[in-house]
Amino acid sequence: MAGKRTPLNDWHVSHGANMSEFGGYEMPLWYPAGMREEHLRVLTKCGMFDTSHMSVLRLTGEDIYQLLQWVFTKDLDRCVGKERAPLTVGRATYGVFLNEAGSLVDDVIVFQFDTNDYLAVVNAGMGSEAAHHILNYIDTCENSCRVLVQDLSDRVGKIDIQGPRSAHVMREVLSDPESVFRDMKYYSFKGSIWSDTPATGTVLLKNGIPILLSRSGYTGEFGFELFIKPEHLVEVWEMLLEAGAAYDILPCGLAARDSLRTGAVLPLSHQDNGNWRYINNPWPMALPFDTGRSCFTKDFLGKKALVSSPPSSYTYPFVGFDVRKVAFTDSPPLVVNGHGRIIGIVLTCVTDVGIGWHGDKIYSVSSPDKPAGFVPKGLSCGFIKATVPLEAGDRLILRDKKREIPVMIVNEIRPGRTSRYSIETMLSKSE
Amino acid sequence: MKDISELNIPGDIRYSDDHEWARRSSDVVRIGISDFAQDQLGDVVYVELPGVGQKFKLNEAFGNVESVKAVSEMLMPVSGEIVRVNENLKDQPELVNTSPYDGGWMIEVRESDTSQFDRLMDSKSYIEFLKQDH
Repeated sequence: MAGKRTPLNDWHVSHGANMSEFGGYEMPLWYPAGMREEHLRVLTKCGMFDTSHMSVLRLTGEDIYQLLQWVFTKDLDRCVGKERAPLTVGRATYGVFLNEAGSLVDDVIVFQFDTNDYLAVVNAGMGSEAAHHILNYIDTCENSCRVLVQDLSDRVGKIDIQGPRSAHVMREVLSDPESVFRDMKYYSFKGSIWSDTPATGTVLLKNGIPILLSRSGYTGEFGFELFIKPEHLVEVWEMLLEAGAAYDILPCGLAARDSLRTGAVLPLSHQDNGNWRYINNPWPMALPFDTGRSCFTKDFLGKKALVSSPPSSYTYPFVGFDVRKVAFTDSPPLVVNGHGRIIGIVLTCVTDVGIGWHGDKIYSVSSPDKPAGFVPKGLSCGFIKATVPLEAGDRLILRDKKREIPVMIVNEIRPGRTSRYSIETMLSKSE
Repeated sequence: MKDISELNIPGDIRYSDDHEWARRSSDVVRIGISDFAQDQLGDVVYVELPGVGQKFKLNEAFGNVESVKAVSEMLMPVSGEIVRVNENLKDQPELVNTSPYDGGWMIEVRESDTSQFDRLMDSKSYIEFLKQDH
């Protein structure tokens, strides 16, 4: 393996992680506890992930707002909460960068430091491509030179702490947890690790290390993302592990991250969406629809292609009836309808080990209303891309070279997800 | 990931280059996957085994082992007829991880060509093979 390494690479290897290449980086797939335990720990207690492979761009300048309104799919004037408030300082929003054909360049979370100062987090290895993509459309601005796009990917470390006890652990390591947690809503952030932002140094750990703390993540569960200077990464990781021991924290690898995000119906870029039009998928929240979802609230790059012609593909989440999956070999597994007709391909197929059927309902290990004695074995789940529209409840067959697995189209996979719960709610739960 | 020195590679059984192991007793060969293979796969959540009486050729896929992430085929280290499968794996697939050579065995076969067993690697050769390839 000769990939790039995060500052935690030695830690991962010396703690027995099974390492694999992902996005050009050597990353841990799982640690000795195993991916099943890691997945379950995030659902029931908490887990921590090294996500330093993610790419980070800093977007600044007088015209950057205008440029973002063109290249980013979210309408920055109408993207926060159900009331569609404007993005403001300290808030973040999930969207995508599309090309002119309306297909995906990458998905991205945009954080606002100021109206002319943003952070954009894109996928591993995508920093340079995303930066070039944005700069291609610099002519969109009336005064084209007043933007600066910096690729900070190698200068940012990142740790995600996810699961119902995440706030308990953060409370132990923050210097002033009470003020940091106050009014810290889902998809908001505080603090900064860059010396030239107003938020710099406003979130400190007990040892004085500054972090950017965001109430977000990509597992579908309650938690935080921590942006840290690379030179502080190992120290913060070990600090979280030590403080988290009382809360049964577990380091988790990318395999658990993949199964958790799939169960939460979150896409993996360039696998669940890619070189096809970004529409008719389970992620309309990334597009600037008006509240009635009948039209877009702004013009943006890729819009023309999205609305220009009738849809040709439809992406849906599915769930199986047991743990069995289909195999991805040279070609993706096929999707077959009740009449034996091939109607699509499988994009992702993993096992969410925290869920199971009970009667005609899926429960999670963390469902408050789960039946007594419920111990899930897990269910296969993922996404398909079909050539015809389907509905929740439709039964299909997934077919690989040797096997056929029955599945059902669904709107949601893992129930009882905690991602949007407030910090107060989570802290008030029994420890 | 286990270092090669940490792997359990018993000396009394044979190994294929696809990481299946084979143990010959009086009249059958018991087959499973090696400690290296289970370590690479991660947590096993499902094992799909053939029916008793089915016949397979050398290197033919006889079943699948599924981790949370992926499905992998298992290949016959010798040709033969299935005489018994490990029914415990239906409810306890994790035995493949915790006990790859004992509780996690997969199938027992009656060999159709006994010379194939002799061509499998012994533990020393298998360790060398792992060192070269991984």
